[in-house]
Amino acid sequence: MDKFILNIVHRPELLPEYIDNDAREGQTEQFDKPEVVKESLDIFRLQQEIAHKNGLRTTIQMSYSSLYNDECIELAKKYHDEYGDEIGHTFLGLNCKEFRKKYKSKEIAIWLFPMDMKKQIVVDSFERFKEVFGFYPSSTGSYFMDAELLNYIKERYPMVKIAVATCFEEGPKVFRHTNSSWYTLMDGSPWTAWIPSKENTHAIAEDEADDIGIVAVPHLSRDLLAVMDNAGDMYGTHPQNIIRGLIYEGDRLPYMYNLVDQYQVMKKYNKGFSYNLVYVGPGWMGKNGRWEANGRLLKKSYKDFIAYYGKLKRENKVEDMTMSEFADWFRKHQPRSGPICGLWKDIIYGTKNQVFWYADSKFRVQIDLKQGGAITDLRPYASKLSRPCGAGTKANQDASYPFIIHSRYRAGAFTHYAGEGSIKSCKVRYGSEEVDLSSCRSTGIYGEGKGCRILNVRPVEIEFKNLVIKIATTYTFKENTGEIVISRRIVDSSDPTAKVEVDEFLTSCWGTNEYPEDLTGSLLSITNRKGSRSELRYEYRCRERFMEDVERVEAVIPQVQTKVSLIAISKNCNGYYEEGYSFAPNLKIGISKKIGVKQELVTCLKVEGVK
Amino acid sequence: MPQGRRGKVNYRCPHCLFRDIDFDLLYDKQADQYYCRRCNWEGTEHEILFMYAVYKRRYKDMLKRYTVEDILAKDED
Repeated sequence: MDKFILNIVHRPELLPEYIDNDAREGQTEQFDKPEVVKESLDIFRLQQEIAHKNGLRTTIQMSYSSLYNDECIELAKKYHDEYGDEIGHTFLGLNCKEFRKKYKSKEIAIWLFPMDMKKQIVVDSFERFKEVFGFYPSSTGSYFMDAELLNYIKERYPMVKIAVATCFEEGPKVFRHTNSSWYTLMDGSPWTAWIPSKENTHAIAEDEADDIGIVAVPHLSRDLLAVMDNAGDMYGTHPQNIIRGLIYEGDRLPYMYNLVDQYQVMKKYNKGFSYNLVYVGPGWMGKNGRWEANGRLLKKSYKDFIAYYGKLKRENKVEDMTMSEFADWFRKHQPRSGPICGLWKDIIYGTKNQVFWYADSKFRVQIDLKQGGAITDLRPYASKLSRPCGAGTKANQDASYPFIIHSRYRAGAFTHYAGEGSIKSCKVRYGSEEVDLSSCRSTGIYGEGKGCRILNVRPVEIEFKNLVIKIATTYTFKENTGEIVISRRIVDSSDPTAKVEVDEFLTSCWGTNEYPEDLTGSLLSITNRKGSRSELRYEYRCRERFMEDVERVEAVIPQVQTKVSLIAISKNCNGYYEEGYSFAPNLKIGISKKIGVKQELVTCLKVEGVK
Repeated sequence: MPQGRRGKVNYRCPHCLFRDIDFDLLYDKQADQYYCRRCNWEGTEHEILFMYAVYKRRYKDMLKRYTVEDILAKDED
């Protein structure tokens, strides 16, 4: 396969926030602002013209307000008839006088309404859509749609086959970036198209029974390296993201082409398939500009960006589809449960840094190659956490899928004094010296095997006082099993007789953001090959247990219904668990062994759901 | 002192930008000065642009074009 598919979605909002804010400055809120509506529709027309001029079709996602605007309705019909654009639906752009009058609510986010209102809005807007166009939409979307909402839509309107279901890595980092005012708290999803679980939108479906019935796509295709430590809203396939991030000089934005080209490279890791979503409303292209950028630059950036896709189309390097066409294609050609992979390279900071992302129905894993190939973010999809959001739910605004490892929210390789942060890494000891592989920069080589995807981490050199060794790491992801086989092999040594202790460990906690969550009640256990087992319940008492000839070490974290295990595949390993304490609120499990040159320690990291 | 208003360009506070917070500046016409309501930064347009230029230095490859071939070549590095 050789398929790079593009969806362009235009969203004709009539009171988009940025233009509306500009018009509102110094005035009280008003809905009757013909100048704002006119400018918004003019921008929508321009966006459509840009796409069509480049031979690209779009999906027009009709917002609540646009379903009450005759001019917009006629435009959508015209584009559908003349260019074959799809007329779809969106829950963005609720803010209008019809909505306010009916619901008496200033809420703007569909995922944050109470469930009874979500249902009411779904039926109201879908029926209005039918009344206007004579058919129901088969595509919809918002910045986030939880599984409860998607299940309801699919049950009531089974013709819906695709939705913009989340914003990739818009979570605490974007919240902070927006002066703690933009409630897209939704870290943890795949970065490209997937089939969600009926239990949780973020999680990839296990099987047909768990299939929610729609294809999900993330709002924008984002830079998989830049988003790790930065707000994602600066690094995506939307010129406004790039302008917001000040990643331009004058009117030059080469980074937006670099992003598209790196997504073409993603075909290499996904059996020939890659995907881009461009998803824009009119607000950012207003005549008054956005941030420091003037209206002329904004318009030019979109023209240039879409022209690049047009060029790729002429060269047969991209295929434009409408959202529903893409849903049909995806169902036919892509496996329901993944996996999806990405070995992403730095294209902006001028480093050799790389990151590897992997996702299937059991987890989403991020491996930071500049940290020696440490796992720095792990979301346990295996638990299929039921986590509805919105008013009246426990999560409310916090729509993220929880992690059990997060090295940036929870310290990772570097703490200021006590304890250890959350990371899956490896320590190597020789005499009284100790080196964490996360301090050794490396890069990766992608591979595939039968039923598995492989990441080889290029060997890193470790210097002890009287010994120099080279260690190679291999991650083998056994597709949809929740298992990652990890090999640490000494490929070279300055002293062929020397042995070092290799300690494969996982420091884990759970949460959705930087603040610690309660680990009380987590169960730590260790079992040796003779069947002897030791366990304890987590109480922040800093207890630990060591065992020889270990078979497995486990941690069950009931708060996220997840069991994570380290299983010794090599023989004659030692194992341990450590409870942690309140100033170091993690748990740690590990397996170690002394090995010499040409020898390896092989373990298996396993993630399971425990209901 | 006069009311702060949005300036002719909607600048964000450069100090807040450096800690990844977008916060619009206000403009004091009388003092010909921009100021931030969140932190304690105040300064001229020239100072804003200078700090923006410094901010952009984090993007060493900001103006570099990486094609598909360039990115694939990184696999072999």
